[in-house]
Formats: sequence, structure tokens, C-alpha cells
Amino acid sequence: MSEPSEVILPIFGVLDVTGEVVVMWIILAVVAVISLLVTRNLKERPGKFQNIIETGVEYLDNFFTGIIGRKKARKYFYFLGSLFIFIIFANYSGLFPGVGMTKYAKAPTSSLSVTAGLGIVTFFFLLIASIRAKGVKGFLKRFWSPVIILPPLLILDEFIKPASLALRLFGNIFGEETVTEQLYEILPIGAPLIMMILSLLFCAIQAIVFTMLTTIYLDEAVETEDEE
Amino acid sequence: MTDSAIIAIAAAFAIAVSTIGPALGQGKTAAAAMEGIARQPEAAKDIRSTLIISMALMEALTIYGLLIAFMLVAKV
Repeated sequence: MSEPSEVILPIFGVLDVTGEVVVMWIILAVVAVISLLVTRNLKERPGKFQNIIETGVEYLDNFFTGIIGRKKARKYFYFLGSLFIFIIFANYSGLFPGVGMTKYAKAPTSSLSVTAGLGIVTFFFLLIASIRAKGVKGFLKRFWSPVIILPPLLILDEFIKPASLALRLFGNIFGEETVTEQLYEILPIGAPLIMMILSLLFCAIQAIVFTMLTTIYLDEAVETEDEE
Repeated sequence: MTDSAIIAIAAAFAIAVSTIGPALGQGKTAAAAMEGIARQPEAAKDIRSTLIISMALMEALTIYGLLIAFMLVAKV
């Protein structure tokens, strides 16, 4: 397993502030400020800034609509959209100069704790969304519906899904950061650039993969029989 | 050979072997997807999203290997 992050500001020994936490705070601040600035005076005919953000949100909306349909996409957009925005910001934060080199700033998704947190949130979201959409009976029915011997496997599956989501994101981003660091050791000027250009692509793909798989699991979790 | 040397070799093998299988699988998937897109360019969008999902699921195997390698390295 990866090395535990160095603590830079201990709070009661449990809520330790690490480099990942600092970067997450910055991400939160940036996203909050952008959202506030954009929604402060919304116009029917958008200005330049509003137009850019609207294009992004529209792209996300179309992306989810393409997978699970308009109704569900609108209903669960608050979770899926936030997940995507957070992950893509967290992934790209590793590309900023200085992030990852000191203990004061690290890409959040290069730590297993952060991605495991995202996985746990996804697990509970899927659980609650499924129970809400189908009721407790409908939710339990999925475990023994096709064949009676399936429950152990299907219950295990519920836990493996978020775990593999978390591990995938962590493995990719951590691996990428490590390769960049190693290249920096070999040749500080120029060599990391090769990996960083590839990272531009990988970061976006990993964010898309995480959200896309969550969306597909969600579709499975909330589908009701009378719908089709 | 000392114990830690054996563990180090095992860690290297864990990641090396677990890379080969998914790499072959992903190559085959990508080739098939390319062929599909070349034959039917209008279906490119659907193929692309399915391709990304299948690639991600295959990649999980490599990541498990990486995880095992990390766990072994921690024991050196």
C-alpha cells in the first residue's frame, strides 16, 4: 500500500490536515467561487463567462442523458455532476507546478483514502437511491430474482463495485504521479513533460470512467420492472 | 537470497504478469472497436462509450496487480 501522507497540521489526532486536504480545500473554494460568480446575475442571453459554464454543464447533461435517459439523468444530476466536477478538478490539480513535490500539496485522488471516501459515498448513494426508487422489497428482490443460489455473489458484488471504482482511480492517478516523479529524478527539465502531456488525457478519461460506471450501476440499481 | 530480495522479485512479477493479460485484451478490444468505427462511422459515439467501459473493467485487473505489488513492497 502507498505511504501514509505526512501530517502538516494535526487536529485532535483524528482530523489531521494533510497535503491532499489542503488541495481539496482549494478545489472547494475555486468551484464555489466560480459557481457564485456565474449564478450571481443569470441572464436569458448569457455573457461570455456564463456561456462557457453553460456549455460545460450542457455537455455533462447530454453525457448522462445518453447513458440513462433524460428523466433519470435530471433526477440524479446533482450527485453525478458534482462527482465528475470534483474528480476532474482533483485529477488535474496534480499537474500544477509544485503539487506532489512537497508535503503541503498533493493531488487528492493520488491517495487511497480520498478515493475510498468517494467509493463509500457512491456505495451509500446507490443503496439509498435504489431503496427510494424500488422500496425495500424491490431492493431485496434483486438479490434472488434470477436464480436462488445467487445472493452471496450479488451481495459481494455490491461491495466490490465501489471498491474497484476507488482502486481504479487511485491506481491510475498514483501511478501517473509516481512516473512523473521518477522522470523528474532522471532529468528535471523536460522529461516529466512527456508524462504530463499524457496525464492531460488520462486525468479526463479516469474522471469519465468513474462517473460513467457510477451512472451504469445507478441505472441497474434504480430500474423498475414495469418501466421497460 | 534474503527474504526481502525474494519479496522484491515477487512484487516485480506481480505487476509485470498482471500487465500482460489486460494489455492483450485491451489491444483486441481496441482493434475490434476501430474496425467497427471504420465500417460504421455513424455508430462511433456508442462504440466509444462501450469501449471506454470495457477498457476500464479490464484495467481493474492491472490495478489489482499494482495493489498486490504495493502490499509486497511495504513488506520488504
